[in-house]
Amino acid sequence: MPSPAFTLSSSGPGDCRRVQLAGPITLAEGAELWRQVRTALAGATSAEVNMAQVTRLDGGAAALLTAVATEMMRSGGGLQFVDARGDVARLLALYDSARTGSCELPEPKATTVLADVGDFAERAWRTTQAILAFLGDLVVGTIQAVRRPRTVHFGELGVLLERAGADGLPIVMLINFLVGAILGLQGAIQLHRFGGDQFLANLVGLSVIRELGPLMTAILVTGRSGAAYAAELGTMTVNEEIDALRTLGQDPQRFLVFPRVLALVLVVPVLTLVGDFVGSLGGLAIAVSYLDQPVVVYLQSLQQAVSLLDIGTGLLKSVLFAVAIGLIACQRGLATRGGADGVGRATTSAVVVVLFALVALDAVFTWVFSLLGW
Amino acid sequence: MAKVLEVRDLAVGYGGEPLLEEISFDVLRGEVFAILGGSGCGKSTLLRTLIGLQEPIAGRVHFRGIGPPAKAMTPPQFGVLFQSSALFGSRTLLQNVLLPLQKWTRLPAAAALAVAMARLRLVGLDRFAHHLPSAVSGGMRKRAGIARALALDPPVLFFDEPSAGLDPVTAAELDELILTLARDLGVTIVLVTHELPSILQVADQCIMLDGAAVGIIARGAPRELSERSTDPRVQAFFRRQVLPRNL
Repeated sequence: MPSPAFTLSSSGPGDCRRVQLAGPITLAEGAELWRQVRTALAGATSAEVNMAQVTRLDGGAAALLTAVATEMMRSGGGLQFVDARGDVARLLALYDSARTGSCELPEPKATTVLADVGDFAERAWRTTQAILAFLGDLVVGTIQAVRRPRTVHFGELGVLLERAGADGLPIVMLINFLVGAILGLQGAIQLHRFGGDQFLANLVGLSVIRELGPLMTAILVTGRSGAAYAAELGTMTVNEEIDALRTLGQDPQRFLVFPRVLALVLVVPVLTLVGDFVGSLGGLAIAVSYLDQPVVVYLQSLQQAVSLLDIGTGLLKSVLFAVAIGLIACQRGLATRGGADGVGRATTSAVVVVLFALVALDAVFTWVFSLLGW
Repeated sequence: MAKVLEVRDLAVGYGGEPLLEEISFDVLRGEVFAILGGSGCGKSTLLRTLIGLQEPIAGRVHFRGIGPPAKAMTPPQFGVLFQSSALFGSRTLLQNVLLPLQKWTRLPAAAALAVAMARLRLVGLDRFAHHLPSAVSGGMRKRAGIARALALDPPVLFFDEPSAGLDPVTAAELDELILTLARDLGVTIVLVTHELPSILQVADQCIMLDGAAVGIIARGAPRELSERSTDPRVQAFFRRQVLPRNL
């Protein structure tokens, strides 16, 4: 390491240490200055730093020297800068006069696992309350919107439908096809061992149409549209655009939330139907390529296995999934606090809460449908 | 006094379309230099070009005695206070000021902390060091932005509309701080603003830009311009008058 441009020499006993600084002293060599000055003053109760030969001092170096002086003062000693001239004296005076208060970072609050669990439970309960209150507002808003449709901002519905629907179609098709194919392959291997090749269509068709099609499609819509809604509304919240809307007499629910939820309610069932179709095709691809099953045989088995009720239950799920995605994503976005960091947290929270809600809703549906014998 | 910044025949704008052309001026060491003009005349675009965030369409910006602007491998040679303060919202004021020190110096943690706290004390914010930017006022955010811009002792500071959105008292305090920085720290300050009281109080020299003229329409000491200029656009600016439509 090159030697610093400044020089330091010290002499005298601990109760009156004399330190001589010389040359240009800048923040660029701050680490070395900090080390040398503290070493020279180690054990001293009182000291005098002669600055007569300092040719240049910048603000950072002045801050470091005054910090050392503060440190000595706190430990009951004293340090004085003497013979400083011109700019050096002015800078030292500037930083010295501002010298008050503490340099220490606050101690991080100690937490226990139990306290963390409690915090998490409290946050989860508050989030649930907020989402339920938001749902109530949305229901009231929907009733008012049906009675007075002109109060709803339908202007951007077309764009929202395109973004959530048409733009998301390729990825929904690809993922559902792959899910159908993976399920088909795993099923084909097992069914083939027991001579049950003809049941592959039942396995893939029912799994995809009743469960995986709606769920996978909803998860993809959450990742694309749900996250986008939370980030968009979150950014609008921190930029005070939502407050501006309110001052203009616009209800953010009807202006922003209702069109987004409506777009998802219209689009997600359509995407789910497409997902069901291509998911079944994924199973067909495996039946033909792995089991050498004729296409007609697979399609006939599928027709016999899947009823309109199966498709209907899948679509019913998809509608409620759409409401959950739109509702939670918009609520999380509008609940954003802080700046860019808050938007990030709101988006993450929206995706996590929606995914949890989707799986929980799916479990409830499966249980209810089994009770109803559907 | 030595030149710190030399701008020659600069053209700035977007997509090859110049907002301003043939911009030439010098800034001297220790000077407070103001770039004036009405809203939308290209002041902030000129500032972005000066600090290297935007390529000029033509001309050159030369910093004398200090390194080139916005090069990633060397410590920044100037500090910038953005119009919105641009503090990182997830970090406290202290952490915002510490950021350049941790990146560009090899100071031990305690020393870096001491420097950062000293900067905050200088701008009167040491008591709020552990607050997030969202928890302090607009004026405090501006001052914290100045502390962060000052962190590495740059010889030049660029301020974009420092008093914008502040009440008169806070704006006056900020002007006082700017003068302290120039007078006591010897920092050269380039200021983009359209706040008349600030211009008259702090600026030594200025240029006035005009969007319709696509360039500089006046230059000199602000007080002199305000009292002696015969250009109706300059008079309208300093007297806060509506400019006749044919000008």
